[in-house]
Amino acid sequence: MTVTVERGTRAVGSHRRTGPRRSRPRESYALFLLPGILAFLVVIVVPFLMNTGVSFTEWQGVGTPKWTGLANYRELLDDSEFWASFRHSLFMVVAMAAIPTVLGLVLAAALFDYVAKHFGTRIATVLRACFYLPQVLPIAVAGIVWSWILAPDNGSLNALLKAIGLGSWQQDWLGDPDLALYSVMGVMVWVQLGFPLVVFMAGLQRVDPQLYEAAELDGAGWWRRFWHITLPQIRPEIYVVLTWCTIAALKVFGAVYVLTKGGPGGATDVPSYFSFTTFFEKTQVGYGAAISTVLTVIILVLSLVFLKLQTRTEDAEEGARAA
Amino acid sequence: MTAVRRYPVLVALCLAALFMVVPFLIVAVNAVKSPAEYSQHGPLSLPKGVYLDGLKDFWERVDYSQKLVNSVLISGSVAILAVILSVLNAYAIGIGRVRGRTWVLAFFVLANMLPQEALVYPIYYLSKQAGLYDTRLSVIIVFTVIQAAFGTYLLSSVLSRFPKEIIEAARIDGANKWQVLWRVVVPVSRPTLGVLLVFFFIWTWNEFLLPLVMLISNDNQTVSVALGVLQGQRLMDATMTNAAALLGVLPALVFFLVFQRTLTRGIAVGAVK
Amino acid sequence: MTVTAIAVTGSLLLTACGGDSDGGGSGDAKTLRLWHYEGPDSAMGAAWAEAIKEFEAQHPGVKVKFEEKGFEQIQKTAPMVLNSSDAPDLMEYNKGNATAGQLSKQGLLTDLTTEAAKRGWDKKLSAAVRTTSTYDTNGVMGSGKWYGVPNYAEYTMVFYNKALFKRYGIAQPKTFDELTAAMDRFVAKGVTPLANAGAEYMAQQYLYQLALSRADRSWVDKYELYKGRTDFHDAAWTYAAETFSDWVKKGYISKKSTSTKAEDAGVSWIQGKAPILFSGSWWYGRFQTEAKFDWDTALWPGSNLTLGSGGNLWVVPKNAKNKDLAYDFIDITMSKKIQNLLGNKGGVPVAADPAAITDPKSKALIENFNTLSTKDGLAFYPDWPVTGFYDVLTSETQKLMTGGEKPDAYLSALQQAYDKGVPDQ
Repeated sequence: MTVTVERGTRAVGSHRRTGPRRSRPRESYALFLLPGILAFLVVIVVPFLMNTGVSFTEWQGVGTPKWTGLANYRELLDDSEFWASFRHSLFMVVAMAAIPTVLGLVLAAALFDYVAKHFGTRIATVLRACFYLPQVLPIAVAGIVWSWILAPDNGSLNALLKAIGLGSWQQDWLGDPDLALYSVMGVMVWVQLGFPLVVFMAGLQRVDPQLYEAAELDGAGWWRRFWHITLPQIRPEIYVVLTWCTIAALKVFGAVYVLTKGGPGGATDVPSYFSFTTFFEKTQVGYGAAISTVLTVIILVLSLVFLKLQTRTEDAEEGARAA
Repeated sequence: MTAVRRYPVLVALCLAALFMVVPFLIVAVNAVKSPAEYSQHGPLSLPKGVYLDGLKDFWERVDYSQKLVNSVLISGSVAILAVILSVLNAYAIGIGRVRGRTWVLAFFVLANMLPQEALVYPIYYLSKQAGLYDTRLSVIIVFTVIQAAFGTYLLSSVLSRFPKEIIEAARIDGANKWQVLWRVVVPVSRPTLGVLLVFFFIWTWNEFLLPLVMLISNDNQTVSVALGVLQGQRLMDATMTNAAALLGVLPALVFFLVFQRTLTRGIAVGAVK
Repeated sequence: MTVTAIAVTGSLLLTACGGDSDGGGSGDAKTLRLWHYEGPDSAMGAAWAEAIKEFEAQHPGVKVKFEEKGFEQIQKTAPMVLNSSDAPDLMEYNKGNATAGQLSKQGLLTDLTTEAAKRGWDKKLSAAVRTTSTYDTNGVMGSGKWYGVPNYAEYTMVFYNKALFKRYGIAQPKTFDELTAAMDRFVAKGVTPLANAGAEYMAQQYLYQLALSRADRSWVDKYELYKGRTDFHDAAWTYAAETFSDWVKKGYISKKSTSTKAEDAGVSWIQGKAPILFSGSWWYGRFQTEAKFDWDTALWPGSNLTLGSGGNLWVVPKNAKNKDLAYDFIDITMSKKIQNLLGNKGGVPVAADPAAITDPKSKALIENFNTLSTKDGLAFYPDWPVTGFYDVLTSETQKLMTGGEKPDAYLSALQQAYDKGVPDQ
């Protein structure tokens, strides 16, 4: 069933903006939030508060914590490793949010709109499954395999470059501190691409094919249809994917752990890996808690900005539709 | 566009898809290699025969069937529960437009912003108090909440564009909010719900840190924790890791392929009723 | 659809509830809960499997409930598990101040001193191996109460691929100078002589060994047991950093090994790509099975000290319910039968009968160890003194290899991290 999104005027719609009916339904909708809020309070909010509490102490994980006030945070401000790791996470945002979203959009439109139409949905489905596969493989195993591919002496990538005559382009992909970050970024694009693709393809199913047909009749080519119809239609998905991937990029840990362990020499260190080693390898739980708290606050602020932008756009659209 | 001009696009897409799949092939190739062969020729050579003894040994050594059951149980429960939770939340936020939407949404998304390392010690203490330490239920509860964050976010964004006319029509017909949710909104949102089910299952399946900390008894452990057994302090069993990974990936893969159908099943054009 | 979903979820949840832990066994002396993380094919794994059989034979009516764990899980969760009712009766755990020392300091382990004396474990272990069994109230090894008992030991040695040496017409070196000369000749023939793993423990172990060749026992005591101040700019460390950096420049160690893992380095040796590997006895069993060429081992030339220590310890958690059974099991693992088995399977036993070791390669392994042990040559490992030092060492050594850091700056970075993390005495 296609959901029609007509922008014409409707008798019911124009009544919506006025009238006493709007205030009452809102309160009772809140009841639906009850199970969610309760669960989140217990599982997330309480631990977060506990974690923040621990960040004001010095603690090994067992025994009694020792209160140290803001000492951990003062140390964090001076910690150059921590701030370097943040710089690296900006690169991760590009690799895990920006690039996969853009590529995912184009791929989704290509598969859904083009391949499915001209070659059948079967092959589009198979291709989508292939693109999603990297998301299914546990990152620990993917990391091992990629370290084999990127190995400097016998790795597949260097072997391939040599075979096609580009031998001079061979590098120590993961061992050269100048290149390591970009190599990790490349692997992250490979890992992340499937996620936006599947979300966008699901979103594209909501789009009324009549809109496309009308545009084609008007003589619009594929690109113009993409820009003027596809993009606006799946805007909520685009927002969600961008926000989510950005959060994931700021929190990325697994790939760095398996590929480079933050090396060489800290060139690929990211805040989450730094926090993990502090928690578990140095067992400085208090300091680790401080790192996590700062990281969470930064992500929270960023997400709030994204969310506010998104709801403002949604409200504006709703207003436009009612008009 | 003429038929000839279409093919280059398809070929390009197929090549790209192949590139995405290559590491999988490497895993498969190494999964059937004997350890001696792997040591002699390295990880990127083709196997001379099919060596399945390692797989069998590993299966028995870690009681893999039990691990698979645990993983299916946990991932399945989380997938279903998290979808339900997301639907409830998103209904209130996206369609109900409760006051202070942004803040409520941020509250739920917070669940995913917290790095997992920060959750470990608090959850350990809380679950010990509740007597849930070393149980699969504790892991299910925690991941339901964490995954529902994304579900709430995606679904509420999608539902915020849900055409009000359809809801109004149902309300006029006498349906209350609960019925509107399950009879109107959910069926229409099926593609998105399908996506969420797949994501939640696969994400939970591959989770490593919290199961490692919370599931101590071997009987309760999941596939990802079992894989960790092969990584010793100084030595690692590469061929077995690949074999076990392949085994471990299969259920998640099957789940994805099964649900792919619901994602692409064309929903008939027509009115909601 | 809703009804089905709810029904499915309900039944799933009920199953989950039923799958609770049966942890916290009873103190009725009917079961021994045992955890370790050695693979079943390894020397230890095989010996301990035999020990389980022996134990059940000697204790009719008692079952051993053995669970194989992952190393990472135990490392990350041991304090949490031992602090709960899920603690096993007997467990393998790593040795050293940062691991067993910490647990003992936190009161999570049972004091084994009386048992060790009663059953004669202290007599069976040499002084060098015993160091990692005792920990004082600060969690520092070397003195204090007994908290763990090792069944095996480990040490590092140089592995030579004799076939490769023969192919290039180079004689197997016996002294340090001969070693550098041999490496020069390999480089001249276009072969990188030393296998290395910059992303893991191998690189820092080369460096530590170089320092040890210019050090003595009191130097090690200062570094590992905090018996004095460690100066990273002293003669030994400076020699180590400069030589290591030099070796990378000369091509003895490949610059491209900054991101290699230990596994890849080991495989490159087995494949016959690298003629020399300097690493530990934990490789020995695997090399015995998988290396298809003629090979030999020797202690690092020109040094009285080398890396090594007693192996992982059997510890009895404070919350263990069947401590007597645990002690009996430890006793069995220290018996000649099990120790000999361990020796014959490629491990380094601590109390075996030399005449009972039949395999020539295993004989050589154990003989080298006994030499080392008698001359008090075990110098532990470079990452032990400070928690998290492993990451610092790996990261800084990588910088040293790529040339991003000069030896002097490298040593200063190590000094800083060491001073920051060293426990207050």
